Order: sequence, then C-alpha cells, then structure tokens
Amino acid sequence: MKKIIEVKNLTKEYKGLKAVNDLSFEVYSGEILGLLGPNGSGKSTTINCLLSLLKFQTGSIQIFGMNMSPTAYEIKKQIGVVFQEVAVFQELTVVQNIDYFCGLYVRDEKIRSKYVEEAIQLVGLDDFKKFYPKQLSGGLLRRLNIACGIAHKPKLIFLDEPTVAVDPQSRNHILDGIKQLRKEGATIIYTTHYMEEVEILCDRVIILDKGKIIASGTIEELKQLAKIEEKVSVEIEQLGAEKLEEMKGFKNVDDVKYVDGILVITYQKGKNNLIHFIDYLKKENLQYNKIYSERPTLNDVFLELTGKELRD
Amino acid sequence: MTVFKAYLKVLNKNKALVILYTAILICFAGFNMKTNDIGSFRVEKPKVLIVNQDENYGITASLIQYITKNSTIVKIKENDSSQNDALFYRDVSYIIYLPKNFRNDFLSGKSPKIEVKSTGDYNASLASMMLERYLKVASTYLKIEKNEVSMIKMIDETLDHQVDIEMTSKLDSDHLMKVANFYNFANYSLLAGCVFVICFVIASFKDEKIQQRTMVSSLNMKKYNQQLLFANGLFAFTLWILYVLLSFLLVGNSMFDFHGLLFMMNSFVFMVVALTFALLIGSVVRNKEAIGGIVNVVALGSSFLCGAFVPMEWLPDFVLKIAHVLPSYYYISNNNFISKLEPFGSLNPMIFNIVVLLLFGVIFIIITNIVSKRK
Amino acid sequence: MFLHNFKCALKTLFKNKVLLFWTFAFPIILGTLFHMAFRDIENNEILDMIDIAIVENEEWKKNQILNQVFDELEGDLFSITYGSEEKAKSLLADQKISGYLILSDTLKVVVKENGIDQTVLKYVTEEILETEEIMKHIALENPMEEESFYQNLYFMIGRIQSENKVELVDISNQNLSYTMIEFYTLIAMTCLYGGMLGLYVINQNLANQSHNGKRIAISPTPKGKVIFSSALAGYIVQLVGIALLFLYTIFVLHVDYGNDILKVVFLTLIGCFAGLSMGIMIATLFKTSENTKTGIIVAVTMLCCFLSGMMGVTMKYIIDKNIPFLNLINPASMITDGFYALYYYDTFDRYYFDLVSLLLFSGLMILLSIRSLRRQKYDSI
Repeated sequence: MKKIIEVKNLTKEYKGLKAVNDLSFEVYSGEILGLLGPNGSGKSTTINCLLSLLKFQTGSIQIFGMNMSPTAYEIKKQIGVVFQEVAVFQELTVVQNIDYFCGLYVRDEKIRSKYVEEAIQLVGLDDFKKFYPKQLSGGLLRRLNIACGIAHKPKLIFLDEPTVAVDPQSRNHILDGIKQLRKEGATIIYTTHYMEEVEILCDRVIILDKGKIIASGTIEELKQLAKIEEKVSVEIEQLGAEKLEEMKGFKNVDDVKYVDGILVITYQKGKNNLIHFIDYLKKENLQYNKIYSERPTLNDVFLELTGKELRD
Repeated sequence: MTVFKAYLKVLNKNKALVILYTAILICFAGFNMKTNDIGSFRVEKPKVLIVNQDENYGITASLIQYITKNSTIVKIKENDSSQNDALFYRDVSYIIYLPKNFRNDFLSGKSPKIEVKSTGDYNASLASMMLERYLKVASTYLKIEKNEVSMIKMIDETLDHQVDIEMTSKLDSDHLMKVANFYNFANYSLLAGCVFVICFVIASFKDEKIQQRTMVSSLNMKKYNQQLLFANGLFAFTLWILYVLLSFLLVGNSMFDFHGLLFMMNSFVFMVVALTFALLIGSVVRNKEAIGGIVNVVALGSSFLCGAFVPMEWLPDFVLKIAHVLPSYYYISNNNFISKLEPFGSLNPMIFNIVVLLLFGVIFIIITNIVSKRK
Repeated sequence: MFLHNFKCALKTLFKNKVLLFWTFAFPIILGTLFHMAFRDIENNEILDMIDIAIVENEEWKKNQILNQVFDELEGDLFSITYGSEEKAKSLLADQKISGYLILSDTLKVVVKENGIDQTVLKYVTEEILETEEIMKHIALENPMEEESFYQNLYFMIGRIQSENKVELVDISNQNLSYTMIEFYTLIAMTCLYGGMLGLYVINQNLANQSHNGKRIAISPTPKGKVIFSSALAGYIVQLVGIALLFLYTIFVLHVDYGNDILKVVFLTLIGCFAGLSMGIMIATLFKTSENTKTGIIVAVTMLCCFLSGMMGVTMKYIIDKNIPFLNLINPASMITDGFYALYYYDTFDRYYFDLVSLLLFSGLMILLSIRSLRRQKYDSI
C-alpha cells in the first residue's frame, strides 16, 4: 500500500512539557486511521504539527512523499481539515461560508459552486443554505464546519473530534459522510476519544497517551492486547462475601466485583464461561434480574495499558 | 441571597468600567476645581499680550504699565505661530503690536498705527476698550500739555479714578458654579454607570438559557425579581454614595452647608430616575454587544443636549426645547438653580423639577412593566 | 484569490453591525451632538447688549452730562430701564439686569455678582468720570464757572477723543472658530476607530488568533495575499465611513475644513491608514480575546482624542505648549493638528509635518506587526 504520510521521531515541547514525544507512524492510502486518546494526550498537537501550524523540535514529516512546510502549497491543495472548534464567519450564510473556504483552494467558480452543492448534500444541510451560523443548532453547526473543511474534495482529510457534543442524528450524518468520503477515495485521519466511533469507522487505530504511542493496529489486533476475553454483569440483590470468594476460584476468572447490587465477573480466556456461571447461580438458588455478557472494548484495552479510563 | 451573590460576582467582572467612569469624573472635576475669594467685586481681566517694538520708555512705558495693571499679561514664546496658536485657543484674547518709534510718532502728532489681533469675544472687546481708553485720554492731554512727564502724570491721575461699586450677592457664585458643574457631570457618569452596568448584569441573568434554568428552578419568581431589583438598587445607591463622597473630597466645606444638602438631594432623585431608566433599557435590550452603543448615545446625548458639558445658557433655544423631554434637563436645571440660590430663597422651582423627575421615574417603571409582561 | 478574499472580507465587514455602529453611526451621532451643543458658544462670547437700570432720582435728572451720555449709549452698548431704586433692586435680584447706576454724591454702580457685563459697566462709567477729570485739568488752565461751559467742554473733549490719532488695525486671521477642533478630533476618532476594522479582518487571518485563521493557514493560498486583500477591504470600508462623515459634517453641520480640499482628502487617507495600522498592530501583538482587543482600541482612541482636545479644546493647546513630545506619538493629535493647520494657517509647513509624522507612525505600527504577520508556525495556538 502507498504511504500517504510518514512521520519520523516527531517531538514537540512547549513550556517544558513534551506534548508529543518521539512519535513515528505511517498512514496508508485509502484507510481511515483513528487517533484515539484521552483529552490532552497530544492528538490535536500532532495534527497541528503535521499541518505545519506548530513548530516542533525534532522529527520529519512527509506528506505525499514531499516535505511538509507552511509554503508547501502543492501538498496543502490536497488536504482538508476539520478542526475541533467551529471555524466559520458569523456574518456569512451557510453557502457563503462553504464557498469562501472552498475558494481558498478552487478558483474556478463553476467547479466551486458544484463542489459547494455536493458538500451541502454530503452533510445534509440542504434545508439550511441561507441560514446564518447563529441560527443553526450545535449539531448543524458542526456539519457546516465539516462542509467548510472538505468541500474542495481533498485526498487527505484530517478530522479533529468532529462529533464532540453533537446530537445523535447529526452524528450519524457526520459518520455517514465520512464513510462516503472514503468511498470516494480519500484517506482520513480521525481523532476522537469516543471509542465506539473508532470501532465502527476506523481500519486502523493508534492509541496515544501523554504524547506517546502506546499501541497501534487494527481493532481486532488491539483487542488481543487485553487480557480479558469476556465480561459478565448480573443484577443480584443480595450476595454474601463468602460467595464472592467462591466465585474467584472459578476457572478462567480474572476478577470479581460486587458494587451497588451489580456483580461483574471478568474472564481471561476460555469458552462456555457464561453457561457455567448461570449453572452456578441456579445451583446456589441466587435471585437475579438481568444478566449480560460483553466483549472487551478499546476502553478496556486502554485501561489495561495505562491503568486509567479513556474518558475521564 | 443566591441571586444577590451571583449579581455581585457578575458585577465584579465589570469593575474596570466602573473605575474608568469614576476616573473620568475625577479628572474632569479636578480641572474645574479652583476656588476664589468671596464677597468683593473683582474686575474681569482679559488676557493680553503686548509685543513692543518701541523702546520701553516715556509714553510707551506708561501705556504698557496701564494695560499690564488692568489685564492679565500672558507669557507666550516670541514667534508668530506660538502667538497665533495662543489666540486660536483663547490663551490670549488680544495681542497689541506697538510699532517702532511709537513714542516719537505719537508725541510729534503723527498718526502711528497699532496692529492688534483679537479673538472677537468679550474679553477682546474689553481689552480693546481699555487700549482705546488710554489712547483717548492720552491724545486729549497731548493737545493741552506738551511736557511728556507731566502729561503722563495727568494721564495716570485721570485713569486712576475708580467708580464706587457695590455687590449685593454674598454668594460665592464662582465656587457654587463649580460644584454645580461637578454635579452636572454626574449626569453623564451616573447615567452611563447605572445603565451600562445594570443592563449588562440583567442581560447576563436574562440570557435565554439562564432564564429558562431559573424558571424551572424552585425559586419563587417574585422573590427572584425582588432580589434582582434590590441588588440593582443597591448598586445605583453605591454609585451615588461614591460620587457624593467624591464631591466632599473635592469641594470639602461647601458640601456641608445648605447648598451641599440640596445638591445631594437632587442627585439622589436623579439616581433613582437613572435606576428606573436602566431597568427599562435592561428589559428591552438583551444583546450585550448593543449595550455599549446604547449607553454612549443615551448618556452622551442627554449630557450634551441638557447642558451637562456646555452651560445651559449657551445652548441654542431649539436644543433646550428638545431637552425638555429628557429627565436630565430637570436635574441639571436644578443644579444650576441651586448654585444661584440665595439663603432663604424660594425652593419652589426646585420642588417642581423634582416632581417632574419622579414622574419620569414612574413612567419608566410603568413602561418596563408593560414591556416585560408582553414578553 | 485576491479578489475572492477581498469580496468575502467586504461582505463580513458590511454585515458586522457592531463594527458599523462604532465606525459609521457613532461618529455621526457624536458630531450631531457636538453641533447642537457648540453652535452657539462662540456667539455667546461676543459682547451683547447689556441690560442695566438707572435710578431716576432728583440728582440724576439734574445732571445733564450723564443724561446725555447714557442717551447716546442706549441701544448701542446698553439697554437701559429707568425707574425707582426699588424697581432697580428687584430687577437685579431677578437677574433681569446686570447692574444699576445710582447717583447721590457720587455715581455708584450696584451689581449682583462678578462678570464680564459688570466689568464693562464699570469701565464705561469710569470713562465718563475720567472726562470730568480731564475737564478739571483744562478748567485749571481756563477758569470759568458757567454750567453750560462745562457741558460744551465735555462734548468738545468727546470730539477730540473721537478724532483720536492712533489707529487700531486688526490683523487677526478670520478663521478663529475653535469649536472646529472638536470636529477635527471627531475625524481623528473615526480614523482610529477604523482600527477595529483592521483588527477584525486581520484576526480572521491569523492561525494563532482565530479558528478561521487556522483554516487559511492550512490552505494553499499564500498568506501575504490574504492579509493584504483583507487589510485593503478594511481600508475601503473605513474610507466609505469617513466619506459619509465628511459629507455629513460639510453639508449638514457646516464644518469648515479650510479651502484646500485636496490636502484635506490626502490627510484623511493617511489618517485612516494610521488607524488601520494601529488596529493591525493591536491585533497581532496582543494575545487576548477579540473583545479585549476592541476594548484596547477604544481606550487608546479615547485617550488620544482626549489629549488632542475632544473633551475640551484647551487640552490640545496645553499639550502643544508644554508637552509637544506627546504629539509625536499621538496619531489623533497629528490628524487634528493637520486639519487645524489647513484651517488656520496660510503656510503648509505644519501640515506637512503632521502628514510625515502620521506616515512614520503608520510605518512603525506595520513594522511592529510584520514579524507576527509573516509568522507561519507557532509555538502554541
């Protein structure tokens, strides 16, 4: 596969803090790469370095095989960025905003008006063309923000947490739009701290913490990293301490917790764990309400690797 | 007290503005505060500059001496542009250029020309009168006395005559005028301060989302409005106290007498009107960005039109007619009235103005209620 | 690209109501207020007819000289009411007259308070007494006793005096209206408020100042082009605003800008540029919120205008006379002084000096911001 981005040993220090610490990674053509990490882990800083907005101390960045710099206009032409913050003119309408930002890339007015129209379709802002930003709800504003960033049909798209604080309907629109963009051949770098989005969207994930890569690979590969295989939760009204001890001795059990009437058992490996457990409950004649089993999430992986939750 | 506490916090955020307005007031007031003697008649002395190209001797010296005695001689750099600037900015009202050989030409009966520059205002007229008076007397004596020394003596004797002047007012009108100016300026600072801060805070509280949150809370809305009103009233009152204290600081003694009391009373009534007006604006305007513009137009407008900056008697008649619809007019009229009030004089005009001011307050409250009910 | 960004910048500026209020509407409103408040000031400073009263008692009726003199002055300098002493007193108390004259053994002037009218009254009365004094001197040399002789003599002296040989020639400039300065400071204020426009458009272009700026930074458009076209748009909007103000002040308020309209236009163009460059400097050098920066512009502008005479024309003179150094760093006073020079002076030295100072000021502002304008990468954003 063709390398679109190649980052080597990127380090960015600011006021004595290493925001990005010796980062190296590649992005391949046509993939959606997820940059996952908690707030302050260096995701946005990494992107801003890639875009030559920030100075960095050491390392090299190549995009499309060329060195990235503020005046590398040939590279910039093919990049689209959707920043975390909504960046639009309050004084311009939806169409005017998209047209302006698209106009920074595309001179031909005919092509531009076609692109603008397509961008509006993509994010589903058809009914709001003549609206001013302050008339839009939070989710719609996010969609406009995205349209402004990708209207010029870039080959490489950076999406920096585009779904923060967005209603479910808008979120679906946004995620569908991103899939559509990939279908059209774009390479996408997607930063977020929502692991659910990463799981449905990304081909490959890089997990960042404190400016360092702590894991990378496909979602399946990452999940392998987790020691646990299965998590079973049961609502039980009363449970004695001796029973808990007993359960810890079961086969494959990693840990047992009983908090606020909910019993959580995590298993490392093995099959039929749930069936064994239900048998045990019957045998002991324990009353329970709901019972459910989960596969490990990226959050569990993150927890495993860093000892803290992804979302804090 | 939650609302009240939140109010103080919002206020604390805007303290820079309150300090700024107060600072402007102090500056302005400071410029106008110089006290004068009381009780005896003082001659107005026009500011004059004499540029003498003749020798300072004989009749020339006598002329200069006379002018110097009866006017304030201004020191200005000896170049044309400094003198012209001084004239333009009324640093000097009248410039007299005594030509070369003035003395010889005058004594020998030739007609010397004296060039003058004049601002054309009454100070200049006065200076011109003075100069002409000397020249008239001098040329009369020139006809009957040829000896320069005795002629000068005769001129001096003649010009020395003073008329007997009696002054009836025992008021220090200049000083009271300055106190009045100080309180007139408060029209701007009290109004601007009240309207800006109160509107700003109300806009914060009436912000759509905050308003919704307040409405769904368990707080009694009546109590909520009462607390808000109380906080606003307290702020206006504090502002007023601050300005009154400032007046004590700046003019001291004269605030302790009868006039001082009236000035304070009048400004208190105005403060109440300003508060009601601020509440009205606050109930109409929700946009914080618009408040700055509205405040400036309202405060500057009423101050200019009603004579807070320029004395009322200097305003054109049609402006004063317009001013009648503004509360500031009645407030400022009262200040001017107080500054000219003799002890035990009738207070009726002042009481009338105060009633009008209070009526304005009532009208503002009524409109505020109508407007907020409609919403 | 240049045009694309230029059009967009114009559109955003013309849609920003707050900016337009401060740069377009506020100066016109303030100008109207100035006009209403100041239009009569200078007329009030000219000596008007003075209202006086004369107590018409037996002594007065007997004194032919005084009677005749005041008859002559009536309608010319004084407007005289005759009557009893009580009437005069009550007129004085009601401030209907500036003072009254009462003749007993000597002539006495009664006034209520100090003032210019009262001083004039005193001077005129003294002049009459002086003539009597002169008569005494003449009478010493030609002793005569008849009443009619004194009368004739008095008026003869008057004739001699009016043929007075010394001529006073008024050589002062006619353009002496100092309230014009208020309107010049208003123009200066508008020029500097234009800085808000500069501030706004430039902020939109800098990655470390606004989110929109980040978008521009990552686009393939050269930064210089975007900044230049934005600044130009700001300048154009500023010129539209100031042109409106000029039309309004000239045709509605009748402000006098002197005769050299071309020089006035030139000064305004440079003045606007100075304001714009100041705005750009504040936009680039301070890293705070846009509101705070606008606050800085307003505060700096008001301070500059205060020092150049907006809140009292005398302030400009005090600075000119005592701290001329301040004028070299105050763009508002350079603009005001330039207009003043065109209005009041016949020579142009002072005008050109102001013009060059403004250019230097603008150059300095641009120089201060250029580093930050050219910066492509940031330590933090």
